[in-house]
Amino acid sequence: MAEDLGTGAENTWCPGCGNFGILNTMKNVVEKLEEKDIGREKLLISAGIGCHAKIFDYLNLSGLYSIHGREIATIQGMKLANPDLKVIGFGGDGDAYGEGLSHLIFAAKRNTDITMVVHNNSSYSLTTGQMSPTSEKGYKGPSTPEGSIEEPLNPLMLMLSAGASFVSRGYAGKIEHLTDLIVEAIEHEGFSLVDVLQPCVVFHDDQYQKYNEAVEIIEEPAGTSNEAMKLTEETERLPIGVFYKEEKPVYHDEIYADLNIVEDKMTKDERTKQIEKILDERT
Amino acid sequence: MYFQLRQKKTNEPKNLSLKNPLLLVLVKIMSDIFTYIIGGKAGEGVKKAGEAAANLFSGMGRKTFKMDDYQSLIRGGHNFSAVSTSIDDIYSHYMKADLVVNLDDRSYNLHKDHLTEDGLMVYNSGDTDKGEGIGLPIDEISGNYSKSDLIKGVTGIAVLSAVIGLKKDELEELIEKEYSRGVEENLSFAKEIYDSAEENVENRFTLEKGDDDSPIFSGNEALSLGAASAGLDMYIGYPMTPASSILHFFAAHGKDLQIMSIHPENEISVANIAVGATMPGARVMVGSSGGGLALMEETISLAGMTESPVLFILASRPGPSTGVPTYTEQGDLNFALNQGHGEFPLVVASPGCMEEAFYLAGEMLDLLWKYQTPGIFLTEKHLSESSMNIDVDPSIVGWAEPKKFEGDREYKRYEMTDDGVSPLKFPPSEDVIKWNSYENDEKGITTEDPEKITEMHDKRRNKNEKLIVDMKDMETVNQFGDSGPVIFTYGSTTMSVREAVKAGEMKAKVVQPKYLKPFPFWELEDYMEDDVIVVEQSSTGQFASLLREKCNIVPKTVIRKYDGRPFEPIKLAEKIKETI
Repeated sequence: MAEDLGTGAENTWCPGCGNFGILNTMKNVVEKLEEKDIGREKLLISAGIGCHAKIFDYLNLSGLYSIHGREIATIQGMKLANPDLKVIGFGGDGDAYGEGLSHLIFAAKRNTDITMVVHNNSSYSLTTGQMSPTSEKGYKGPSTPEGSIEEPLNPLMLMLSAGASFVSRGYAGKIEHLTDLIVEAIEHEGFSLVDVLQPCVVFHDDQYQKYNEAVEIIEEPAGTSNEAMKLTEETERLPIGVFYKEEKPVYHDEIYADLNIVEDKMTKDERTKQIEKILDERT
Repeated sequence: MYFQLRQKKTNEPKNLSLKNPLLLVLVKIMSDIFTYIIGGKAGEGVKKAGEAAANLFSGMGRKTFKMDDYQSLIRGGHNFSAVSTSIDDIYSHYMKADLVVNLDDRSYNLHKDHLTEDGLMVYNSGDTDKGEGIGLPIDEISGNYSKSDLIKGVTGIAVLSAVIGLKKDELEELIEKEYSRGVEENLSFAKEIYDSAEENVENRFTLEKGDDDSPIFSGNEALSLGAASAGLDMYIGYPMTPASSILHFFAAHGKDLQIMSIHPENEISVANIAVGATMPGARVMVGSSGGGLALMEETISLAGMTESPVLFILASRPGPSTGVPTYTEQGDLNFALNQGHGEFPLVVASPGCMEEAFYLAGEMLDLLWKYQTPGIFLTEKHLSESSMNIDVDPSIVGWAEPKKFEGDREYKRYEMTDDGVSPLKFPPSEDVIKWNSYENDEKGITTEDPEKITEMHDKRRNKNEKLIVDMKDMETVNQFGDSGPVIFTYGSTTMSVREAVKAGEMKAKVVQPKYLKPFPFWELEDYMEDDVIVVEQSSTGQFASLLREKCNIVPKTVIRKYDGRPFEPIKLAEKIKETI
């Protein structure tokens, strides 16, 4: 594990929080990427708002600590500005599947080359445990004292419907598996989602036990999107791994092919000439 | 009215004006303004007809102003385009026209009072039976063509050519240039119209040629070119009138300019993609109208905290809410000035003509990168979508270069400096670069420490103070005219006021603050004692209130208009005269 990836910031997650597993995973991910010649200077991260997002302060990587649900748009901006960079967004289930859901669907639809790691604990934990988009029906929190009356979202199904080219699920309790999954997601050219089962020890004190019993590693991605959708519906056993993967044209390539607007920027003189051309066409 | 005295070939005795020396002066000053209005249904090529006329006038070396009035619909309804042209500078269209071409009955009824005393009305005799003026069988002729509705708009340029005495081959050349799609049919139709109009209208007016060779651009095009001149890399927009044509401009010209244009799922995404893109160093602009900017407001505050220099274009239309989508108003001034929760430096400025839109967009992008803070370029439909001549030099616009990090010391994104501006470094970099929406320490790590919170507030406030010092050396306020009553105005209304002063042959000092936040009070101290008239397009007088708040200027009169239409120069001149 790359020890120098810490920032020295005080860690304020609850003891036993699933987020520690994700933080440790990410340090391994950086190490593995560096073994593959993807240096950490080429990584940019962003995060939404919530417990998950503190990972931004704990990982010594460049990036922008965004706002609730918008990190999905933030990293798309980073990638489009400089496609040489690898961008990773961290979101909670409230961020990615609630406040920022439209950004997630459209990022998948246009296949921007981003990786979203969603710390899914089925609860709004930093705001004291209200129900989230993935909370089970009957979930009791301060905004639903008698139990949630809503059915939870199936985010992986949603992503498959949106045309996501890489859909996966990992578990914060299986760091080695999660490490490989996130590395594969980052290496995937196009949109990739890693939904991470992230136990919250305070508002879902049964999650570790439940996940430890139910998770089952899938060895191969499903052959079709439809088969992958069926996998997402399983609730007795919880498949983890790559559900679906597909090669598709990538958004930034489709816009201006190889142009990197930041690295290959025109000079002032070149731009002036182009503008004069437009002015002259009207005279 | 001076309109009667226009140079004409018809029975007006040429020496009329000589009998009266005052009239002679009027002829000399005003005789060359010519106004053309074309009205019809959406889908009949009305907007294009206005554009073709504007290009014709401009090609004659004349100054031209074009205003398009259209409804929020795609087919039917009523659209019109008013184009005024002059040898001298012209800042507005007029609603008293020398030539009105109506493609349908509704247009006839709406525009029959928009003629000068000796103006000429041409109408569609296939749709109107009450006509005063010259009826042409437009429906009958267009019925023989494949696009029988759309082709009607070609009537405008054909009639205009006949009226100002262009020969048929000159008309052909115009059609080939302006109506190149389906040119054969357009040529044939134009000639039929020209022939049917010629005997009645031939050479009714003579338009003197000028020597101006500056091109005509809409405000949205001009501001786009200005930002491009300052090094813009990316434009992001979600369609909303009247800002959409900025997105269209970059979609059309982006490849040549190497400026990426993106149309994402909503305005929230627009603004956040923008902030994200500034972090690796892209110069970014976004645009919308009031409703869209309201969705971006959360991110304007994010830009303030992260110190992300995004330029936001706010092209206003009448509100509140959906309001009147395709018309004009200045009801968003306070909205622009008060964008974003929390305290951070915000620049708001508004251009007073298309040429200024070009330079101001470039200057703002440059300024925002210098101070690493967001800004709002406030304009209105009347400037965004109207067109006039611009004479611009892209080479003199700045290049939005930020203060960059140099040296061996540890890099800190929010390093404390004398001017509050921390040097930038862009990824990829061996150094860790952390931008943060939370209050943070110098390295960009989240903090709740009271001293650090205070220090960072001071840092951002310091930037604002240094920005003001910089602005004191900039041209932040325009004054047109140096004697007479003081008229304060801003934004697109500046054009209406300048033309009204001309039309009313008044002397006035027209004062237009370009920058509205920070407000350039230091330039306005001289006016505090004056009897000030304010002209603005707001029902509550937001600009007048701003003058009072910032400079203790209490206007004697506030001339307000809030019916969605821009001021008409002659009517505005009358109103100003009533107050003097």
